[in-house]
Amino acid sequence: MVANIKEVKTEGCNIKRLGEENRELSYNDEICVGCGICEKICPVEAIELGSIGGIVRTSVDESKIAIDENKCVLCGMCSVGCPVDALDLKIDETSIKEMDEYPSLIKSAEIDDETCIYCKACETACPRDAITIARILPDRTKLVTGEIEIDKDTCIDCGICEEMCPADAITMEHKLPTSDDPTVSSDINVDKEKCVYCLICKKSCPVDAIKAVCRSCSYGEYDLNPEDSEITGSSFIDEETCVDCGWCQEICPVDAATVEKAFEGELIIDQDACEACGTCVDICPCNVLSFPKAEIGEPTPKVNADEKYCIYCGACENACPNEAIEVKRTEIRHTPTKSKSWEKRLESLKT
Amino acid sequence: MELKVDQDKCLGCGNCVVSCPVNASISPDAAGGHGPKTDDVIMMVENGLVKLFNVDKCAQCGTCPLFCPTDAIYLE
Repeated sequence: MVANIKEVKTEGCNIKRLGEENRELSYNDEICVGCGICEKICPVEAIELGSIGGIVRTSVDESKIAIDENKCVLCGMCSVGCPVDALDLKIDETSIKEMDEYPSLIKSAEIDDETCIYCKACETACPRDAITIARILPDRTKLVTGEIEIDKDTCIDCGICEEMCPADAITMEHKLPTSDDPTVSSDINVDKEKCVYCLICKKSCPVDAIKAVCRSCSYGEYDLNPEDSEITGSSFIDEETCVDCGWCQEICPVDAATVEKAFEGELIIDQDACEACGTCVDICPCNVLSFPKAEIGEPTPKVNADEKYCIYCGACENACPNEAIEVKRTEIRHTPTKSKSWEKRLESLKT
Repeated sequence: MELKVDQDKCLGCGNCVVSCPVNASISPDAAGGHGPKTDDVIMMVENGLVKLFNVDKCAQCGTCPLFCPTDAIYLE
């Protein structure tokens, strides 16, 4: 019999078997969310889920799951069941998730750049920092135009306009007066790239040395070329860290993000059993759970949950020390498989 | 992994006893800060130092190490 080889890496491990076909299971502990689905789906009990609360919240140096290379048969069921793709089985260098013979979970997250207005709400909300929005802002000088002039003969070099200017567009060349040149400034200039013609300098000048007019105020929006205010950009979702939680879809103001989830189910919290330790809040990869703001005199739930963002992975249920959480999975969406045993194992994830 | 204590580091503050969610479910007085009414809990302060009574009940959620000011209670 050919023995499996286990290779332990800084962030995870690889299990290999070399033969007529080379099989290699890779596990990435950084991506793993500790849901324990691999432990449930493994047909040979080769995977053991650790105490996720302690592993994530303390400095204990332990991997979230332990794979016994002597029990593992490199079948790949764990890699197909893993909702975050922390496990991947490759046969002769090709992931089974890319092979039609093997089923795979149906899940995706996409941002349509045609619809996206690059507001970055999704980037801020993404619990896994998987989204990057790169945007190119319009040229500010094209959005406001006007005229500004400082009468240097009238100017008394007080520096009030320089101090008041909200756009830092006015610069005075401060200096100490000498008997040869008894002034406190050698020059004063307005940077027209920065000036927004707000007229604060004009209004605050004690000697009326500034003449300024804002064309946008005079002509309103008629003077603006719509092309000049266009915001362009691009969006990127890191598939490796994305867990398809749906935050981007829910928070997007223009419905540019679409998320498809592999599991359907129900998240049930027993508020009486909950002791508000916060383990679930720290564990949840989707920021489903949070502590509610306490209102004086109002009974508040110990922990808040919004199922909109839930992927029904069950990590919170495993981590809760008081058995106060139940995660039900009622639907597992996957591509078809002819294999009865695979179908059965995937169905076994339903609760 | 197991819950352990280092009595040399312990200040006897009782943060672990109060924060432990399992203690709270066994003896609600523990979470209120009055001290557990039973030694069925996981840990208690005895003679000014923390002592583990029922380590088998620990679910290793990592809450007590978060609140311990001196790393005297830890998972290893």
